[in-house]
This record gives sequence, structure tokens and C-alpha cells, in this order.
Amino acid sequence: MKTSSEESNRTASPDPDWPSRRLRWVLLGAFLGLLGLILISGAAASRSLKRMQQQEQLARRDVADRTGNLSGLYLSIEVYNEAIQRYAACPGGKPDPVVRQQVDRLTADIGSQLNRYPPDRQPEEAAFLQAILDQFTRHRDLYASILVLGPQELQGREQSLINDQILSMRSQFLESSGQLRAWNNQQFRRTDETLLAQFGRLQSSLTESLSIALGAGLLLALASMAYMVRLERQTRGRYRELAHSRLELERLSSRLVDVQEAERRSISRELHDEVGQSLGALLVELGSLSTNLPLDRIRIKERLANMKSVAERTVGTVRDIALLLRPSMLDDLGLIAALEWQGREVSRRSEMEVTVESEDVSEDLPDEYKICVYRLVQEALNNAVRHAQARSARVRVVQNQSGIAIEVSDNGCGFQPERARGLGILGMEERVKRLGGTLTVDSAPGRGSAIKAELPLPPSAGKPS
Amino acid sequence: MRQTRVLLADDHTLIRAGLRLVVEQRPEFAVVGEASDGREAVTLAQSLRPDVVVMDIGMPGLNGIEACLQIRGSLPDTQVVMLSMHSDEGYVLRALKAGARAYLLKDSAEADLASAIRAASEGKSFFSPAVGKVLLEDYMRTLQRTGAEDSYELLSPREREILQLVAEGKSSKEIAALLNLSVYTVETHRAHVMQKLNLRGVPELILYAVRKGIIS
Repeated sequence: MKTSSEESNRTASPDPDWPSRRLRWVLLGAFLGLLGLILISGAAASRSLKRMQQQEQLARRDVADRTGNLSGLYLSIEVYNEAIQRYAACPGGKPDPVVRQQVDRLTADIGSQLNRYPPDRQPEEAAFLQAILDQFTRHRDLYASILVLGPQELQGREQSLINDQILSMRSQFLESSGQLRAWNNQQFRRTDETLLAQFGRLQSSLTESLSIALGAGLLLALASMAYMVRLERQTRGRYRELAHSRLELERLSSRLVDVQEAERRSISRELHDEVGQSLGALLVELGSLSTNLPLDRIRIKERLANMKSVAERTVGTVRDIALLLRPSMLDDLGLIAALEWQGREVSRRSEMEVTVESEDVSEDLPDEYKICVYRLVQEALNNAVRHAQARSARVRVVQNQSGIAIEVSDNGCGFQPERARGLGILGMEERVKRLGGTLTVDSAPGRGSAIKAELPLPPSAGKPS
Repeated sequence: MRQTRVLLADDHTLIRAGLRLVVEQRPEFAVVGEASDGREAVTLAQSLRPDVVVMDIGMPGLNGIEACLQIRGSLPDTQVVMLSMHSDEGYVLRALKAGARAYLLKDSAEADLASAIRAASEGKSFFSPAVGKVLLEDYMRTLQRTGAEDSYELLSPREREILQLVAEGKSSKEIAALLNLSVYTVETHRAHVMQKLNLRGVPELILYAVRKGIIS
């Protein structure tokens, strides 16, 4: 069949419209990459910020150290100079031993201070320090030369010593230490500038990575949007297709019911008209043959009786099949009598007693309504006997202005309507829906069941009798 | 001897031929015509005025029940023997309501047709034995399953007698003459019977009688 092969082809090959699995992975990868980029650049920025902070602190501490050291040195040398000066200018030419002791201690102090100066020295810095050290050495030499002088030799020279040598040395020293301080400050400024430049670089790199992330995010968002729009469109298309095929299916199954009924009716008629009547005629013939035979032909009469019973059984079977296919009661007796017949038939064949009640049901309902009600009741009673093991069932059919209401209830074991929707109930639903009606199944395990249907009647259909 | 004039109505030629065969074996019967559907049966009955119409219950166009109703309506002297495949009371009651005197299953038509035609022509009822059996079984089963009581026990002997006579097709006047009662008394008894058995009309009464095996 052409359609079925097409169908299988469609299911076998992947749908070209369907977005590939790869695209999904690409989107996911891009998203993860974006996240990674933001994370990495953020981490790098925070690390460099920390480093810069440390550098700045270090530089600050460095400068403070050096400045402090330098100030101490400066102060010590000042005091030292003062002491020397005082020593040289001591009145009476008698150097004070206390001053001398002080000078000695200061000399040691200065030496150790110079040694304590941070060891990581730049060449220039080292040069300045060297100069200070040299000046100090000269001071010491001067001091030593002063110390060896006797009071008489010192007498009269102290002024010239102070003016010529001590003061000039002091001013030299001041200059050197001033230079070193200036150099230190300059160094600090330079470090500051370097840090500032680093900060600027960090800022620009951050801006750069941020804009890359933003751009990528935008792209990603656009791509996802496009993907979603595409999916949405496909879903909408598919939904439309589904709705269409459901409609088609409904139409088809409704037609199926029609065709099935028509087919059943024609087979039933064929069976009844051809097979049934031929068998009936055969029976009549056999009977009259038997009656017309002389009484002494017992053997032949027996065989004729056998033939008759076979034919009778066959007639019974054919009749049952024909009735199952098309209940001729509907045509012969009308709907309610046919339902009553059906009820008695079920009562006869099973352990369930059926009562049929009706109110105002018109006898000239359209055939499709009659057959719908009949099949519904048939199926419901069938279920009650076969699945619910009910002992009694009640069929009630009521017609009013708007339509027909059918209810079949039993006292059987019941079932869960949501779970056990067998083909029987589906078939009933199909028939009822076809005529624009509704079917409700009311049942629960251990509570019996009630199947109710409401069929609206077309205005032209039979009015309540 | 005056022959009983019979009209055969069945949509199947073979069946009609078989029926004719059976009827014509009896010299007291004569087949006066054959109809192949309900409408033709009504027309022929009106023109031929037969004593008995042997009619199939299920025919295309106008079915046997409708045809019977029309024939009985226009020709009160023509009796109808209904032929059917069903022994269900729905069919029997319908046939009786339509005015048929006899109800015959096709399976046993050949054996019982002569008796049925004879009974009908005399204004009596006739039912295939199998019909009575099925009706009784249905009745007993329903009584048993629903736990109801057999209302026949409620009838007095006189009422039972009248039930049988009515079911056999006798009028109140005939019954009154037969039992030496006044027509009024017979009517009263009849009403009691109907009430006690919860019956509506003579067809249901006949059905009841057949079911109980009071008549056959």
C-alpha cells in the first residue's frame, strides 16, 4: 500500500526540519565558554589588584623605613656635631669627659644606623650613602684629630675649627642627606607612577574582556532566541499537523462506524435472506417429505429426522450470527422493544437480571440514533456480565425536548474509569460523539458502575411519543 | 365442505413454495394468493378477502406486524397466522397487539401450520409449543431472581376459568352463555383478573396465558 510505505519512510529517516542535536551542544558550549571568560578575567583582575596593593604597601613601608632611618641618622649626626662643637669650644680648654663619652656613643650609634639602612640599595642610593659615610668618616677623623689636641693647642683654634671644618662638614652632610631624602621621595613617586600605570592597564584589560563577554553574550542570546523561535515555529506546525490528523482520525473512525454498521447490516441480510431462508425451505421440504413417506419406512424417516435436526441447529446458529450483526428487532419492533428483547436475551444467557425502563421514547427516531442507543446498551450489558459479574442491571432510556438520555447501571464489581478504558468504552464514546453527544462513566471498584450518555436530537428527529 | 381460503405472505420465494406445499396437502385448505411483501399482502387481502393470512413477521417495506394491523383493521373476519423466527415475548406481544390469532415459529411451521390455520379460522389462538416454553422460562427466571410471587396464585378458580376462556378468544357474551353467568359478572371477573395480574389489554392476557401454559 502506498500510504503505509510513505508513512514508514517518514518515520525511518530523520526529519530535515528538526534542529540538529549539534546546534544544542554548540549553544551550550558557547554559554559555558562565556561563563568561563567572565570567571577567568574576573579572577585575573582581582589577583592583579591584590598584587598592586601589596606592591604599594611595600613601597610605602620601604620609603617610611628609609625616611625614618635617614631622619635618625640625621638627628644623630646633628647631635654628634653639636657635641663635637661643644667639645671643641669648651671653656678653659678642658674637654669634658662626659661630652667625650657622649661623642663615643654617638659614633657607635651612627655606625650602626648606617648599617641598619635597608640593604636593597640602588646604585645611586648607595652612592649617597657612601658620601654620607665618607663625610662621617671625615668627621671622625676630625674628631680624632681634635681629641689628640691638648687643651693648650686647642686654645684659640676652636673658633676656626668650628667655622672652617665642623660647619662646612655639617652643611655638606645636610646636603647629602637632603639629596638622599629627595632621591627617596622621587623613588616613591616613581613607584607610585608605575602602580598607576599598572592600574590603568588592568582597567583597560578589564574593560576589554568585559566588552568581549558582553558581545559574546549578546550573540549567544540572539542565537538562542533564533533557535527558540525556530523551535516554536516547528512546534506550532507540528501542533497544527496533529490537530489536523486528529480531526482526520475522528472523521475516519466515525466513517468506520458507519461503514461497519452498513457492512454488518448487509452481511446480516445476506445471511438471513439467503442462508436462513434456504435452510428454512430445506426444513419445510424435509418435513413434508417425512410426512408423505409411508409409515413403514422407519429407517428413512430416522435419517430425515437427523437431517432436520442438523438443519435446525444450523438455522439457529445463522440466526444468532445475523442478529448479532444487525438486530432485526430494531426494524421489526422499534427501539424500546428491541432493548427489552436485548435485556431478556442477556437475562436468559447469563446470571444477570436486566430490567429495561423507558419514558417517552419516540418510535420514529432516525436509524443512526436507534443503532447508537442499541449498541451502547448492548456493550454496557456485555461489560456488566463479562467483566463486572453483576447480578442485576438496569437500563433506562428517557427522551425529552432536547434529546435522549441513556443510563445503564449494574451492581457488579466496578472498575476505575480512568485506568480501565477498554475498547468497549472507547467504541461507545466514538458512537456517542459522532452524534454530538457525551458519555460519562461513573464507577469505582466495589461500587458497581453506571454508564450515562446524552444524545442531542436534531429538531427534525422524532418527537417524544 | 367449504375450503378455508389462505393467503401466503413471505418475502422469500423458497419459503412461500414450502408453505404452499404444506397447505395444499390438506384438502380443506386452498391457497388463494401469494404476496412477497407487507404492502402486497394488504392489497391482496383486501381484494381476495381470504379467511386466513399466513404472514412472515419480518418483511421489507411494510413489515408483518404493520401489515397485520392494517388487515385486521379493515377485514375483521380475516385472521392472521404470524410466522416468526423469534420466540421472544417482545415479538409475541407485538403480534398479538397487531391482532394476530396464531404465532408460529418458522422452525416448526411445517408441523404446526395446519393446526394453526385451523385454529385461527375458528377464531382461536394458537402458539408454537416452543414459544410457550420460552415465555414460561423467562417468567420463572424473573420470578426467581427478583423474588417476586407468582400472581396466578392470587386468582380464584372462577377467575382462572375466565382467564382461559378470554385467552382462547371468546367474548364476554360467549363466556356468559357458557358458564351460565350474566355478562356483567363475567366483565367484573375479567377486570379482577386484569388487575390481579397487572395486565393491560387482551394481548397481554393472552401472552400471560401462553406463558402459564393455560392455552397453546
